[in-house]
Amino acid sequence: MTEFVDLETQDGVRMTWNVFPGTKQEAMNCVIPAAAIYTPLKPIPNVPVLPYAALRCRICRSILNPFSIVDYAAKIWICPFCFQRNHFPQHYASISEDNLPAELFAQYTTIEYESVHDAGPVVPPVFLFVVDTCMLEEELGYLKSALAQAIELLPEKSLVGLITFGNYVQVHELGFGQMPKSYIFKGLKEVTKDQILDQMNFFSGKPKPAVGVIAGARDGLSAASIARFLLPASECFMFYMYGFPSRYLSDVLEELQRDPWPVPADQRASRCTSTALSAAASLLGVCVPGSGARIMAFVGGPSTEGPGMIVSKNLSEPIRSHKDLDKGSAPLYSKAAKFFEGLSKQLVHQGHVLDLFACALDQVGVAELKVAVERSGGIVVLAESFGHSVFKDSLKRIFQANDYDLGLSFNGVFEVNCSKEVKVQGIIGPCASLDKKGPLCSETVVGQGNTSAWKMCGLDKKTSLCIVFDIARKDGPDAVGQSTNSQFYFQFLTYYQHNDGHMRLRATTLSRRWAAGSGSIQAFAGFDQETAAAVMARLVSFKMETEADFDPIRWLDRSLIGLCSKFGEYQKDSPSSFSLSPRFSIFPQFMFNLRRSQFVQVFNNSPDETAYYRMILNRESVSNSVVMIQPSLISYSFHSAPEPVLLDVAAIAADRILLLDAYFTVVVFHGTSIAQWRIAGYHNQAGHETFAQLLEAPRDDAEGIIKERFPVPRLVICDQYGSQARFLLAKLNPSVTYNSDAHLRPGGDVLFTDDVSFEVFLNHLQRLAVQ
Amino acid sequence: MASSFSPGGPSRPRPGYYPPSIANPSPNPSPASSLPGTMQNLQIGRPSAPSGPPPFLSGISASASGGSRPGPPPQSLPTRPQFQQPPAMSNGPPSIGVSGPRFPTQATLREPTPTIPTQGSRAVPGSSSAGSPANDLVPPSIYNSSFSAPAAGVPMAPPSLVSSPPQLHSLMGGQPSHPLAGGSPSQPLAGGPPSQPLMGGPPSLPYMGQPQMVQYSGMRQPLPPSGAAPPFGSPPVWQQQQPRPGVAPVSSMVQAPPQMFGAPPSPFTQPRPLTPPVMGNSPLAWSHSSTPSTIDPNQIPRPMVDSSVIVFNTRQGNQVNSPPPATSDFIVKDTGNCSPRLMRCTMNQIPCSGDLLSTSSMPLALLVQPMAIPNPDEEPIQVVDFGEIGPIRCSRCKGYINPFMKFVDQGKRFICNLCGYSNETPRDYYMNLGPDGRRRDAEERPELCRGTVEFVATKEYMVRDPMPAVFFFLVDVSMNSIRTGATAAACGAISQAIADLPEGPRTLVGIATFDSAIHFYNLKRALQQPLMLVVPDIQDVYTPLHTDLIVPVAECRQHLEQLLESIPSMFETNKVADSAFGAAIKAAFLALKPTGGKLLVFQSVLPSIGTGSLSSREAEGRTTNVSSGEKEAHKLLQPADMTLKTMAIEFAEHQQVCVDVFITTQAFVDMASISVVPRTTGGQVYYYYPFSALSDTAKLYNDLRWNISRPQGFEAVMRVRCSQGIQVQEYSGNFCKRIPTDIDLPGIDCDKSIMVSFKHDDKFQEGSECAFQCALLYTTIYGQRRIRVSNLSLPCTTMLGTLFRSADLDSLLTCFLRQAATAIPTSPLSQVREQIMNLCVNILHSYRKFCATVSTPGQLILPESVKLLPLYTLALSKSTGLRNDGRLDERSYWANHVASLSVSLAVPWVYPRMISIHDLTSKENNDPILSSILPLSSANLNDDGIYLLENGEDCLFYVGNMVNSEILQQIFGVTSVDGLPTQFVLQQYENTFSKILNDVVNEIRRQRCSFLRMRLCRKGDPSGMLFLSNMVEDKSPGGLSYMEFLVHVHRQIQTKME
Repeated sequence: MTEFVDLETQDGVRMTWNVFPGTKQEAMNCVIPAAAIYTPLKPIPNVPVLPYAALRCRICRSILNPFSIVDYAAKIWICPFCFQRNHFPQHYASISEDNLPAELFAQYTTIEYESVHDAGPVVPPVFLFVVDTCMLEEELGYLKSALAQAIELLPEKSLVGLITFGNYVQVHELGFGQMPKSYIFKGLKEVTKDQILDQMNFFSGKPKPAVGVIAGARDGLSAASIARFLLPASECFMFYMYGFPSRYLSDVLEELQRDPWPVPADQRASRCTSTALSAAASLLGVCVPGSGARIMAFVGGPSTEGPGMIVSKNLSEPIRSHKDLDKGSAPLYSKAAKFFEGLSKQLVHQGHVLDLFACALDQVGVAELKVAVERSGGIVVLAESFGHSVFKDSLKRIFQANDYDLGLSFNGVFEVNCSKEVKVQGIIGPCASLDKKGPLCSETVVGQGNTSAWKMCGLDKKTSLCIVFDIARKDGPDAVGQSTNSQFYFQFLTYYQHNDGHMRLRATTLSRRWAAGSGSIQAFAGFDQETAAAVMARLVSFKMETEADFDPIRWLDRSLIGLCSKFGEYQKDSPSSFSLSPRFSIFPQFMFNLRRSQFVQVFNNSPDETAYYRMILNRESVSNSVVMIQPSLISYSFHSAPEPVLLDVAAIAADRILLLDAYFTVVVFHGTSIAQWRIAGYHNQAGHETFAQLLEAPRDDAEGIIKERFPVPRLVICDQYGSQARFLLAKLNPSVTYNSDAHLRPGGDVLFTDDVSFEVFLNHLQRLAVQ
Repeated sequence: MASSFSPGGPSRPRPGYYPPSIANPSPNPSPASSLPGTMQNLQIGRPSAPSGPPPFLSGISASASGGSRPGPPPQSLPTRPQFQQPPAMSNGPPSIGVSGPRFPTQATLREPTPTIPTQGSRAVPGSSSAGSPANDLVPPSIYNSSFSAPAAGVPMAPPSLVSSPPQLHSLMGGQPSHPLAGGSPSQPLAGGPPSQPLMGGPPSLPYMGQPQMVQYSGMRQPLPPSGAAPPFGSPPVWQQQQPRPGVAPVSSMVQAPPQMFGAPPSPFTQPRPLTPPVMGNSPLAWSHSSTPSTIDPNQIPRPMVDSSVIVFNTRQGNQVNSPPPATSDFIVKDTGNCSPRLMRCTMNQIPCSGDLLSTSSMPLALLVQPMAIPNPDEEPIQVVDFGEIGPIRCSRCKGYINPFMKFVDQGKRFICNLCGYSNETPRDYYMNLGPDGRRRDAEERPELCRGTVEFVATKEYMVRDPMPAVFFFLVDVSMNSIRTGATAAACGAISQAIADLPEGPRTLVGIATFDSAIHFYNLKRALQQPLMLVVPDIQDVYTPLHTDLIVPVAECRQHLEQLLESIPSMFETNKVADSAFGAAIKAAFLALKPTGGKLLVFQSVLPSIGTGSLSSREAEGRTTNVSSGEKEAHKLLQPADMTLKTMAIEFAEHQQVCVDVFITTQAFVDMASISVVPRTTGGQVYYYYPFSALSDTAKLYNDLRWNISRPQGFEAVMRVRCSQGIQVQEYSGNFCKRIPTDIDLPGIDCDKSIMVSFKHDDKFQEGSECAFQCALLYTTIYGQRRIRVSNLSLPCTTMLGTLFRSADLDSLLTCFLRQAATAIPTSPLSQVREQIMNLCVNILHSYRKFCATVSTPGQLILPESVKLLPLYTLALSKSTGLRNDGRLDERSYWANHVASLSVSLAVPWVYPRMISIHDLTSKENNDPILSSILPLSSANLNDDGIYLLENGEDCLFYVGNMVNSEILQQIFGVTSVDGLPTQFVLQQYENTFSKILNDVVNEIRRQRCSFLRMRLCRKGDPSGMLFLSNMVEDKSPGGLSYMEFLVHVHRQIQTKME
C-alpha cells in the first residue's frame, strides 16, 4: 500500500481504483466507486511556483501539463483532454526539447502559478468574531480569555470585527473612539444586507443610490464607514477614550457581560444564533465582498430564537434527537436547515467562511449549521466547555504560526478536467457547487454535483475533497469512437488566496490507466483499501443524510459482500475456502469498524455530534479518515517495544499501557497493575526509571498526535476499570463479552455488549460471499 | 352684583390726576404674592452676576451653592399700597381700606363685626337677587344726557348705573358704606362662628403629614413627634424648604384689610368725563352720539390688580363663599370645601334645573387642578390612614367619606351626599352624634371637616407595587439639532437638572439619543464607561437591553454627567438629517415598560423617518390650491395619522409612561401630530421657536428642572363624582380615557388642570347643595399610593340672577379657551371666533333679557361678575390660536398649551400683563410695579418707553425708538436702540435699575411657575409687530378695537332681543 502513499505525497491524491475498471458495467461490478480524495493545498516539497499565468487549452481550458504532446518545431501543444492543438504564445517562443518550461517537466505533475500582474492589491484577511453571551459567567470568562489570546495572535494586517449575541445581536462599532458602541438587532428575523446598509449609517447622510448592488469600497462605500466595523488588528489595542489610551477591542471583550435578559428557571436562554450569523454575513457582504473573510462563531448553547432556532425556549421540550429527525418529529429542524442553506449560499456568493466553535453540554445546532459551515469550507470545533483544551488549543492553533499551522487560505475555486470517458458525479467535502455545467458532469449526482467548478471559500493544508467519478467508457459495439489509448487523464485546478494575500493556482495533472478486458484483474491491483474505506465512510454518511429510509448497515454489508464475491478466492458455497488477497484483506475489518463507528451508529450520539464527526470526516485526508473509522491501538509494556495491537478487548492486560487514537479522542489506558504502581508512586523512586519511561512513552506519543491534529483531540488518561475507560472499551472489538465462552485472561477485560465480534462478522461475510 | 356698563357711560367728574399707568389695577391678576413656593426653583438659572454666559452655564455653581435660589420669604406682608393709598381711593370717601369690614374674611373672626362683614363677604350673592331687583338693573337711560348725573360725583348709587354695591362703588368713586348698606341683608348671615379654628392656630388634629409634594423637596424627615400615625409624615418645615417670598405670614393677615373678591375696588373712582358711544339699537342713536374716538378707553371695564393677600374661607357656617380671582394672592382655609386652586366651578351656585342652566347660556364645568401647589401658609393637606380597611366609601356610588355625608341614626348610618344612599357605618368608624347632629369627632377627623384629604391607599388600589420615579431622557442628535446647539442645550439642561433629583434608590434615570437610529446608553456602574447601544431598526423598534438602561440616579450620576458632556461632541460631525421621533419614543417606551415613568423628549426637527414619521404638511398646505387650502387649513391642525395616537394610548393605558416633549426647532415640526403623544399621556409640550442656543438655553434648563422637580404623581387615575341631578358630561385635558367615568393619567403634576363639564339629568331641590368630589388615585414620587379626595359642595338656586352673580369669570374664560382650542382643529378659524363671540353674546343676552328687563334697550348691560367677558372674548379671538396669520405649529402649540392650562394661568395667557419699565426707578417700591398694569392698547406705548409684556410663557420687552440711552445702558448694556441684540438674554448689571428689573422679572417667574422666554421687540421691526399683535384692544386688520367690539356685542344683543 505504500505505493499509494507515495503517490499521495507527490500530488495529494489517492484513489479507490488506481487502475480504473474498463467499462461502466465493470465499474458497477466493482462495487466500490471510482473516486479520488484530493488534498488541494497539501504541502508538497519542491513544487515550483511559476511567476506567470498558466497556459490554457483554447477549447477545454485545461492547463498545459507534462502529459501534453508538444510539437517543438511547430510550437504547438496538444491538449491531452480534448486533443485540441494549441499554439504556444510569444513568450514560449524559446521552447525546445532542451528548454522546457517547468510545467512540462514530467515530475511536476503538481505545480503552482502565481501571477503577480493580474492580481489586485493584497487584501488583508478579515476575522469577524461572533460571540454568544448566553452562558455561565465561568464559561464566558474562559471564552473571553481565549479570545483575548487569539486576538493577540492575529496577523497584524488582518482586520477584526466583533458581533455578540444573546437575545439580541450586537454589532460592535470598534472604530467609534468615544465609547464602546454597538448596533443592536432583534433576534427574531434575519438581518439583510440592505438593512445593514440602511441602518448602520453607511451612506452617512448621502442619499442611497437608487439601484444596483452596493457593497464594499469598490462600489462606493467610503473606507471610513467600513473601518468602523473592521479594524486592523494592530489598531485594536491602542485607542483613546476620554483621553486615556486604552486597548480597545480587548476592553470590549473584557467588558463583555452575560446576556442581561432574564431567563426564567423553566426556560432556555434566548439565543439568536442564526440572526447573529446572518448579521455577520451581511456585514461582511457589505464591507468586504469577495475578499477573504472568516466569521468565527462561538456558540455556547442551543439557538432558541429567530429563523434558525432548533428548539423552543421551554425547557420541557427536549432538543431533537436522531430519533426525532428520523420520525420527522423535529418541526424546527427543516426550517432551520433551510435558513442555513440560504445563509450558505450568501456566504459562498460573497466568498466568506463560517467557522463554528460550539462549546456546550447541550447541543447548539451544529446539525443545522453544518450546511453553512461545510459549504463555506469552515472549521468546526465541538467541545463541552470553552475551558476545555479541545477548544482552547484548537483556537490557538488556528492563529499560531508554526510547523503545524493550518495554512488557512481563502476564496478557493476548484475545477476538474478529465478525459472524455470519465465523468464527475460530484464532490463530498467542504465546498459548494458553482453550477458550472458541462459535458463533464455525470447524470448521477453525489454531493455537490452537476458542475465542474466548486467554490471553496475557506480551505487549508489538509482540506481533502472526495471526488466521485462515473465511468462512461463502454465496451463492445458501443465503444466506437473511444480512444483506444489505455491512458486517461485528470487535471485538478485550485485557485486560492494564499495566506500571503496573493492569488495562486495549483494544477495537478494525473494519468491513470484503464483496466483492459473484463476480468478486472488489473483493476484489482490498483485497489486502495484505505481510500476505499474513507470513500465508503463519506458515501454512507452522505446517503444517511440525504436518502430517506436508507439502511446504512445493509448497504455496507451488501457492498462488502459484493466486493468479496467479486475479488475473493473461494469455492462456491464453501465458506471455509474463502480467502482475500492482501490488496483487500483489511477492507472487511474497516467495514466492520465503520459499521460500529459514530458515522453509522448515530444513535449513541446527538445529531450535533454526528454532524460534527461527519464534517471532520468530510474534510480529512485518507489516513486520518481511516483512524476515525478504525482507531489505532498501541501497546506499551515491559515485554516489548511499543507495538500496534489488534483493536480488540483482548489487548487489555494488567501490565500494559494502551494508547488508543480514535482521532477525536486519544486515550492512554493503564492496566490495573500499571495503575497501582503509578498510584504507589514507583515512577518517582530511584530504580524504577524504566517504569517512569514506560509511563512517559504513551503520553509523549499522545502529545505528538495532539500536536499535529486539528481540531485538537480530547486526551483521556484513564485506568482499567475506571469510568473513563469507556472511551477505550467502546472502540474495542467485543471478542470477549459477558456472555462469551472464551475464558477471561487474568488482567483482561470483558465488554458488556451484545454487539457481534469481528470473528462472528467475518464468518457471516464468508458465508454470504461464497453464495 | 350686576354691573351695568354703559358704553355711553356716565360721565363723571374725574380728577384725573392719577397716572394712567396705574389706572387699571386688574381684579384678576393680583399676583404679587401668590406664587407657588417651588417656583423659586426656576430662578436658579439667573446668575446674579450681570454679565456672563447664558444662565444655565452658571447654573451648576448656582444650584450647588443655592445662591441663586430666592431667599426666604419676607417676614412681613409687604405694604399694601393698593389698599391704603391707591390713587383710585384717595379721592373717594375717606378710606376704603380702613373700612375693612366691607371685605371681611378671616378677619371677622378676630374682630367680629359679624353683620356687616359677613354680609359684605356675601355681597356678591346677597346684594341683589331677592332684595331689590332694581338694583340689578341698569337705569333706564344712559344716554349722553344721563351722564351728568354721575358726573356730579355724588358717591351714591344712582339706580341708573349699578345694581351691585361693589360695582357701584367701583364706578362711583368708592362709596363703601352705601353699597354695603344697600346690600340686602335678607340672606342669612354667614356668621363665621368664632368656634371655628382660627387661622394660624394649631390644627386640632395631629399633623398627619403633608401631601407628598412636600417631601419631594428633598427632605425625608422623620415624623413630627405629634404625627400620630401615617408613615408619610412630612417635615413640618415646609416654609424653610420652600420659601415663598412675598407671602405674608399669617399674623399679618389678620390686620390686613380683607378684600372682597367679587368686586375689587375699581380704580375708576374718578372717571374723567367722557362721551362714550351710545350703544343704541338704532343707527341713529349711534350716529348722533360722539364718535368712538372720543371715548375714554379708560372708562370701560378692564382687569384690575390687587396685590394684597386675601384669606379665603371655603365655607363659613353653612355658607359657601365665592372664591377670589384665580390670579390673586390668597390663602385658603379649608373649612369643608376644597381650595379653589384644586377645584373651581364656572358658577358658585348650581342651577336647580337644566333649563335654568341653558337659559343662562353659561357652561357648567369644573376646573380641577388636583395637585395644585398650595400657598405655603395654608394648612397642608392631611393624610388619613384607615389601615387595612381603607377609606370609608359609599357602598353604592363608591364616593369617599367627606364632610357633607350626613350621619344619622345616632351615627349608625350615614347618607351619601352624592347618591343619597344610606350606608351603615362600619363598626370601627362608629361615633356618637353630638347635639348639633354632627359626629362628636367631626372636628378631629380631617375627612369629616376638610374639603381635601389624602387617603393612604390599600392593596386594593394597586394592581402592582407602586412604581419608582423614572425619568428617561431622549435627545435628538440629528444634524440640525447639533448645528443649532439644541443638543448641547438639552444635554446641559439634563446634566444640571438631574443634580436636583432625589438620590433615593427609587429615583431612576436613563438616556437615549436618536437620529435615524436610536442610541441607548448602558449606564451600569460596573462598566468603566457608558456603553452605546444603537437600535437601527426604526420600523420595528425594540429596547436593546432589559436592564441597565435605567438605573438609580445615585449609581450613575458620574457616568451620566460624563456622557451628557460628550454627546454633543460625539455627534459633532453627524451628517444624518433624519430624525426618528416616533420610533425613538416607542423604543424608550419599551425600555420603560417594566416600570413606567416619565419620558422627556428633546426634539429639534420634523420627524422624517421610521415609525410615525411625518411630512412637511405646512409646505404642502401652501403649495396646494389656495382656496381649498384655506378651507381645509384647520385639518392641518389634526394629527397626520393615527400612528402616534395609537402609540400614545398604548403608553398611557398599559405602561404608565408620561411623555413630555421639548421642541427646540427653527422650522416646522408638525406640532399637531407630535403633541398627541404628550396630550394622551398626561404630559405637555414645550415649544422653543425659533430656537436660539443663546437665549433659550436657560429657559430650557429651567423648564426641565421644574418639570422633574415639581410636585407630581405617577400612574394616576382620576374620577369626578357629583350629586344626583347632574352627571359628568365630558373630561378635557391631557389624559387618556379608557372607560367613560375615569381618566388615566400616567403623570399628573401641579400645573395640569382638567376640565370636567356637567349636564343635568334631574332637578335639584332649592336650598339643597350639589356636591362634587374629585378622587385622584396616584403614586407619589416616593412610591406611596395615595388617594387625594377633594370635595366641593355648592348651593343650588332657581334664580337666574343669583346664577349670574355667582358666575366665576376666570373659570368661564378657561372654559371658553378650551372650547376654542378644541374647535380649531375641526372648524375654520372664522367659525371658531364666531362661536366664541356667540358664547359671550348669548350670556350677555340672557342676562339682558331675564335680569335687566327694566333697562332701556339702548344700553349694554354687563353682569358685574362677568363684566370683563367681552374684553376677554375679544382678546381670545385675537390670540395666537385664533389669529389668521399664525403659523401652523404656533397655533397648534397654543391649542395644546391651553388644553391643560390652569385657571390662574389662563387669564394672562389670554390677556397678558403689560407694565412699563422705563420708569421703574421712579416708582416707589417694587410691590406695586406688577400691579400697575397697562391696558393692552398701543395708545399706552410711548416712543421713549420700554414695556414688558408677559403671558406666563413669553416675556416681551418693547423698546420705543426714542428711549433714553442711559436707561438702555442700564438695562440692556447698550447705548442705542440699534445696538440691541436680536437674541436676548436678560442680565443683571450693577445698577439699581437693572436690579429692580430683574427683581420684577423674577417675581413674574415665580408667579407663573415659568422661566419666561425673553424677547426684545423694537419699534419698527418685525419684532415690534409681534409685540403690537398683543395689543388686543387696538383695531387690527383681523379684528375690532375693544370699543368697537363692545358696540358690536351690543348690536348683537339688540338683534337678539328683537
